Amino acid sequence: MLANNPTTILDFFNDAKDRFEEVDSVFGTIPGEPGFGLGPRFNSRSCAACHAQPTVGGSAPGHNPQVVDAIADGAHNIVPTFITPTGPVREARFPFFFTAGVPDPSRPDGSVQDLFTIANRSDAVGCSTVAISQPDFANAQAQNNIIFRIPTPVFGAGLIENIEETSLLNNLAAQSGNTLGIHGTFNRNGNDGTISRFGWKAQNKSLEIFAGEAYNVEMGVSNELFTQERPLSTEELASGLPPICKLNATPEDHTNFNSTAIDTMSDTVQFAMFMRLLAAPVPSNTTPGGSGSIVRGNKLFESIGCIVCHTEQFTTNPSSITTSLHNANALLFSDLEIHHMGTTLADNVSQGTAGGDQFRTAPLWGVGQRIFFLHDGRTTDLLAAIAAHSSSGSEATQTVVNFNALAPGDKQHVLNFLRSL
Amino acid sequence: MLVTLCCLMLQAIPPNVILVKGAVPGASDSSTPLPEGGAVRERAYENGYFGLTYPLPADWTENVLGPPPSDGGSYVLSTLIPSEKVTGAGIAPIRGSVLISAQDLFFNENPATNAKEVVAYVRGRLPRSQSVERAPAEVRIGGRTFTRLDYGAPIAGLHWSLLATDVRCHAVEFVFMARDTATLNGLVAGLAKTKWSDENSVPVCVADYAVPANVVTRVEPLFPVRRFNSIPVRLIIDLEGRVRHVHVISAFPDQTTAITQALLQWRFKPYVVDGKPREIETGLEFGSTPRHTASR
Repeated sequence: MLANNPTTILDFFNDAKDRFEEVDSVFGTIPGEPGFGLGPRFNSRSCAACHAQPTVGGSAPGHNPQVVDAIADGAHNIVPTFITPTGPVREARFPFFFTAGVPDPSRPDGSVQDLFTIANRSDAVGCSTVAISQPDFANAQAQNNIIFRIPTPVFGAGLIENIEETSLLNNLAAQSGNTLGIHGTFNRNGNDGTISRFGWKAQNKSLEIFAGEAYNVEMGVSNELFTQERPLSTEELASGLPPICKLNATPEDHTNFNSTAIDTMSDTVQFAMFMRLLAAPVPSNTTPGGSGSIVRGNKLFESIGCIVCHTEQFTTNPSSITTSLHNANALLFSDLEIHHMGTTLADNVSQGTAGGDQFRTAPLWGVGQRIFFLHDGRTTDLLAAIAAHSSSGSEATQTVVNFNALAPGDKQHVLNFLRSL
Repeated sequence: MLVTLCCLMLQAIPPNVILVKGAVPGASDSSTPLPEGGAVRERAYENGYFGLTYPLPADWTENVLGPPPSDGGSYVLSTLIPSEKVTGAGIAPIRGSVLISAQDLFFNENPATNAKEVVAYVRGRLPRSQSVERAPAEVRIGGRTFTRLDYGAPIAGLHWSLLATDVRCHAVEFVFMARDTATLNGLVAGLAKTKWSDENSVPVCVADYAVPANVVTRVEPLFPVRRFNSIPVRLIIDLEGRVRHVHVISAFPDQTTAITQALLQWRFKPYVVDGKPREIETGLEFGSTPRHTASR
């Protein structure tokens, strides 16, 4: 947000940021954990704990808070092996249901398997590991039936939200003149067919749906958009969550009728407002490598074709919320389309019209400040992330060939440019 | 017993395999050649639909396979790279590549209606960092007419040559890339070794034939699931106006089934040229958000 226009909007933003940073517990009664509604299943206790790098609203931090979340307040969770103190924050999904303990390709799943439960927490009296248990991640890993997602940064999300569909469609048509084999499409909202744009597969239409789903899935907080406590997919097919662990009336997050002004808003609405008003990253003109290297890298990035998918910018629609979003320049480096990314990056999870190897072009603004790359945080090495764009079935293969045709010094200039974003 | 047999066949999910797919191509039969059905065999890229056999340059090999056809009718047919890239010899920059692609002109997302116009469109949208090195012009290579455009990225030291030709209402494109113009021109010259089948043996391509004036019987597909993807379809209509073949270029499996079952029941007025009926190939689009109108 560039200006306090309207004049009270900064108060809304600051309140929203406070809520985004709030640590949740089951009843909000533990000192330092005033948020209400954690669990029964969860991946972390605070939005900002995971969306943290380089600052609040970002991606996975260098020190993973999930190792503490697992045992906080007396919880008895076992930390899965794919969660390490210096590894990325992750959520886990099983691409397929299990039949007799073996993954069954004829039964696609793809839903989030929350890492932890509230069992044995000091504020979850009666809910023990007898009643509720963690998913069998070890078995899933042994049978290669598990994939991961890291937090997607939400900087500039309001700008993304305010890009008119016509702009996106015109860009798609303009891309059709490329000679790289790139031909993306859009994920579309299942209700009205309009373009959806948030999430690793662009599966969510709006910031409020994005926030509501994350609050429910990642922290177990039922809200006005996702009104019930969320069971695992296997529990959903059986008898749901164990009643003894459902400790609150629902929805746990809702409009506050006894309050006035900002306090009236639910957390979910304010999370959306936080993301909407959060400024986009500002690129550096000099770091790393100096301005000459960054400028050269930018031109190389364009000349070899990266820019076809990582479209440099869009102009937003007129905004009814704030002038900062009004006809604004969104330098996001993404076409917001979904593209086939091939076997190396495929996760076998379909969301909306996005198939198992299709992903939204990840916006590159802020990539220079990130630690972990790609949807599952599998690498901290930008070169490895670029190489992963090329595999059987990927639209990016020819672009990677062009990158590999560059002299080594020019490859470094491209990396410097990316790191400057 | 059946459950046991079923479960004994299940095993760990193989790595790097796409099992859950989005929209993919499908056809009403497996014998009619398809645009995406080409492959590299015995050191040549062969495509029965486009009727071409392109010999690989010496010491070149096929790169990884391309993506499925797009919902705009775009195909990546094959990509080729020098063999030393595959052997991982050193870290020297790759010296070139060949991309063979095709654009179904019935579903083109830009206004180009033939290969020449496709090349003109590419030329008009080259990024700032690329410049024209040889303006678009018609050339004859191996007895076939192409439109050729050369462009380069001086900052990257890379050169490209785009050669596009019309085949069955597609623009088939050969995109050669090289770090030097000598290699580039050698790749272009190699195009002369391509063998092309006689196009008189394939259906005549006719745009927008599936309009009400030509359709005698129409059966609507019944889609069990509501989605919003564009579904381009090509069909071959025989001498008597019956649908002989349906090629759904990009759709989910239930959509392909519904469309194929419906279209095979359609009846058209036979396409007549000089008093004689001809077998034709045409296209139409299904889906809630079709990209193209009937007239172009």
